[in-house]
Amino acid sequence: MYRVGMSVLAVHDVYKRYARGDREIAAVRGVSLSLDAGAFAAVVGPSGCGKSTLLHLCGAMDRPSQGEVSLEGRSLATLDDDHLTRIRRERVGFVFQFFNLLPTLTVAENIGLPLLLAGGRADTVAQSAATWAERVGLSHRLDHFPQQLSGGEAQRAAIARAIIHRPVLLIADEPTGNLDSDNGALVLNLLRELNTDAGVAVLMATHDASVAAGAALLVRMHDGQIVGVEAQHQDARLAHKGVR
Amino acid sequence: MSLFHWLILRHLKQNFLRSILTIASIAVGVAVVVAIQLANRSSVRGFEAALNAIAGRTSLEITVAGVDIEETRLTELGWLREYGLVSPLIDADVLLRPASRRFGAGNEAEIVRLLGVDILRDQPFRDYRLLESDGRELVTTQEFLQLLTDSRAVVITAAFADRYGLEVGSELDLIAGTRASALVVRGVLGDEGPARVSDGNFALMDIAAAQWVLGRLGRVDRVDIRLTDGMDVDLAEQAIRERLPVGFSVGRPVRRVAQVERMLRAFHFNLTALSFVALLVGLFLVYNTVAVSVITRRVEIGILRTVGISRGTVLRLFLGEAIALALVGCVLGVPLGWVLAQEAVRLTSSTVSQFWVATAATVPPLDLGYVAAAFAIGLPLSMVAAAIPAAEAAALTPLATVRSDDHLDMREQLPRRFLVGALLLFLVGGWLATREPVGGLPVFGLLSVLAVVFGAVLLVPVVLFGFSNWGKRTITRWLNVECRLAYANLGSAIPRLSISVAALAVSLAMMVAIAIMVGSFRETVVYWVGQTLQADLYAASARQGSATDPVAISSEVEATIARHPAVVAIDGFASVDVAYGDSLIVVGSGRFGVLLEYGGLLFKAPEDWRHAMAGAVGVDAVVVSESFSLQHGKQVGDSVTLQTPRGPVPFRIAAVYFDYSNDRGVVVMDREIFEQHYAVRRPTGLSIYLDSGSDPVSVRDGILATLGPDRRVIINTNSALRTEGLRIFDSTFTITYALEVIAIVVSIFGVAAMLLTLVLDRKQEIAMLRLVGAERCHLRRIVMIEAGVLGIVSQAIGLVIGLVLSVILIYVINVQSFGWTIQFHIPGVFLVQSSLTILVATILAGLYPARVAGRFAMSDLSAEG
Repeated sequence: MYRVGMSVLAVHDVYKRYARGDREIAAVRGVSLSLDAGAFAAVVGPSGCGKSTLLHLCGAMDRPSQGEVSLEGRSLATLDDDHLTRIRRERVGFVFQFFNLLPTLTVAENIGLPLLLAGGRADTVAQSAATWAERVGLSHRLDHFPQQLSGGEAQRAAIARAIIHRPVLLIADEPTGNLDSDNGALVLNLLRELNTDAGVAVLMATHDASVAAGAALLVRMHDGQIVGVEAQHQDARLAHKGVR
Repeated sequence: MSLFHWLILRHLKQNFLRSILTIASIAVGVAVVVAIQLANRSSVRGFEAALNAIAGRTSLEITVAGVDIEETRLTELGWLREYGLVSPLIDADVLLRPASRRFGAGNEAEIVRLLGVDILRDQPFRDYRLLESDGRELVTTQEFLQLLTDSRAVVITAAFADRYGLEVGSELDLIAGTRASALVVRGVLGDEGPARVSDGNFALMDIAAAQWVLGRLGRVDRVDIRLTDGMDVDLAEQAIRERLPVGFSVGRPVRRVAQVERMLRAFHFNLTALSFVALLVGLFLVYNTVAVSVITRRVEIGILRTVGISRGTVLRLFLGEAIALALVGCVLGVPLGWVLAQEAVRLTSSTVSQFWVATAATVPPLDLGYVAAAFAIGLPLSMVAAAIPAAEAAALTPLATVRSDDHLDMREQLPRRFLVGALLLFLVGGWLATREPVGGLPVFGLLSVLAVVFGAVLLVPVVLFGFSNWGKRTITRWLNVECRLAYANLGSAIPRLSISVAALAVSLAMMVAIAIMVGSFRETVVYWVGQTLQADLYAASARQGSATDPVAISSEVEATIARHPAVVAIDGFASVDVAYGDSLIVVGSGRFGVLLEYGGLLFKAPEDWRHAMAGAVGVDAVVVSESFSLQHGKQVGDSVTLQTPRGPVPFRIAAVYFDYSNDRGVVVMDREIFEQHYAVRRPTGLSIYLDSGSDPVSVRDGILATLGPDRRVIINTNSALRTEGLRIFDSTFTITYALEVIAIVVSIFGVAAMLLTLVLDRKQEIAMLRLVGAERCHLRRIVMIEAGVLGIVSQAIGLVIGLVLSVILIYVINVQSFGWTIQFHIPGVFLVQSSLTILVATILAGLYPARVAGRFAMSDLSAEG
């Protein structure tokens, strides 16, 4: 086990099984992982290896079939749906390959959505959204709709939405998978900046080796299990437990 | 076929709930149309069945305009024997009651058709199967004759006898008007010929005895003729007509069915038109389902087009989807229609018998004709409804579908052609409303309604776009996040929402229009009743006759009433039905002198009606109802020629009055003139005027006490009659509201189906909302708000269009159908109540889609891995 500082995310011997017809398939098998504040980890592995499933479990999107996931020391297993929702809304941010912006809302509204859902005042939320839009270089696009943006712009808007409520953990599932190399680099730099400046821990899944190279630590997965962890920078703060 | 199975049937199965809702909508729409057709048919059928059973082998019948025939005049018709057999008869509705039930509870009598015949002459006309008490059949005329020699003898049907446990020798009370006679059962008829009338409610007497018990000595109702075998009926009718003395007319029995059909035509026509509203709403949902089907499978269609499926095949596939839905809908709708028809008959039969014809209405059997009609209407209309989305599917190119996603259509630009189309349709509707009726039916009026309805359908997306754009700039700034999201969702789905909103808006518009029309009509009737019911008491026979079969009040009863010290004047109303052109009108009488002194009619023209009426007393002048004036184009000063027993007589029209109790047209003449032309007829109702200090209730009680316990007269006070009048009025429109409620329920189903579709379509967006922190209650509120907004927009459009439609209904369709002028009145309280109810119902329609929205998994959002 390797760890430095305070743990934000702790995954202990987690399994996730799905029923497929009359068979049961384990997407994640006995994974343990710990992530501290300000960590930047990339999860890599072939398609179907369980990367996204692991991210869902870490982001309070799903519950494990077995094992335990804790966020900031609080176990997610015993929480009901409303509590999990509140945790996602307040402590976790999400970025996906296909941006997942609401086509019916403007960029400003999309960015401010988590704060609005948390009951924030419309004018305060609008101000905050404008600030984060400026941070990601979209201040000229505030009143545009998602379908009027380029892929890179849409992903930057998604990142602003993911960070506006100042989460402790940012889940990024193939964030550059739908972008060209220039925009991909831009998005990756943005994630690094947020990781460094805001101290938010980032857990990113990717196929792309060059993108993974930008992370401090590399977590390799195969057949639902973690098969290796590599520290890529001196300041790496990731600890792991291997395969059981 | 396999392609149809893969692409269409499997999809319908996967979207089970939506498919079921659409099928249910078509089924209800078809059922309502079938039910109204069956109900309409039943009201004529009861009359027709009775007529056929009574007519037997009668080829032609001789009658005198409006009245019965004096027996002495039959000598003028001796030559009729040259054409075949001749049988004069009495034909009347009477009340029959077993003597054992004379007193106490359950003493109500049944209405029975009484035929008084000369059995020697009549047997070749009708089949009487007389049974002895042991069930044996009596066959000889001699045996039959012996039964009827006694003047108290009556022959009843086995069905009636069984119902009351009667047998030969049992005593019966026969009540005709205010007369009662004690009769003895001398024979029982088997189930054949006239005995089949109205579940066996038939009685046979000797003609002389019948005349006696009915108080009509020396008179017969008509003379039936059975032509010699081989004689041409048309030629014989023509020849007899030429030889008949003045005042007599000849016709086939079936002409009476035609007259009844004509009387009921406008009522039936309007009900049929109304029933199509429910079907129209169902068809909107077919459009909606196929449109959604196309939108959500654009990629599939693109793939099919890529692998070589032709445009024609794609078109046929989606039209096939509509046919599949309609087929199941029709199969379910036809039997459902028969069930609904039972209720429709119950709701309409009281109106029909109150206003037009007393008939034992039962739902006709569901023959192939109705089934074929249901399919012939349902299938092609469903195809028409599906034509546009199917054509859109066929027009998709492989590239376009592969490139585009299957998200909601974000059309930001207002489709100008919709607005232009709507305005054009409104103009056409306005023009159609000014056209004259066709054959007495408001055909153009209904086309005008249709034009406005389709104009409204085109207007819906325009209004939604306008509402959305306006809202974006204004209200959403102040609303909470759920409202903003709901608003944004709706704004982006306008092309798809339009049809559901249109269906609901059209149903609501029709309901608003009908509510305004009925409310206006009611207000008008209340005013009219206030103006015309001036007498303090009204007397009528205890047996309520229909408009075509009034029951007279005896001279003894009238004299008793007149002797009461508080009574200062009595006006009697008598009437006869007289053929006028193709229709039957009512020719009535009243004392014009009493009318002048106490009032009693509300005049439309001339302004100085008192002067006009004063000039009409004791001369050949008449006042005509507004419906008569409008239907026959007659004004004050014109002449109207009426058939009388002495031949056609011209009458000057002195005035036109409002009459909302009858749409057949009424011509009223002074009592004295009426008696002169139509012989003496007892009045069927009395208006009793009291001195100013009298209490109507105590006077009524006093008169009833004097008349004794078995009086068979009911006397209503003025206020009681007004209340009863409005009760009848309200019951008349129950069917109208019932049809509208069905249409609204179907369209609320449509809104639920549409919301469900939108929720399913936004699966990813909803999952994303959950991801960024939306709780299930957030999602539920969003969907419920969407439902509410749809309800509000539909209501707003429905109210405005309903107002326009009500103007057409009141000033065009109503006037052309019934000839009634109605004062415009908006029933505000009712509209507010119903609007709120429907709004709540619409919001509740969002419950299920809202629940579904809360179930989506967030894992759909991410890339696989």
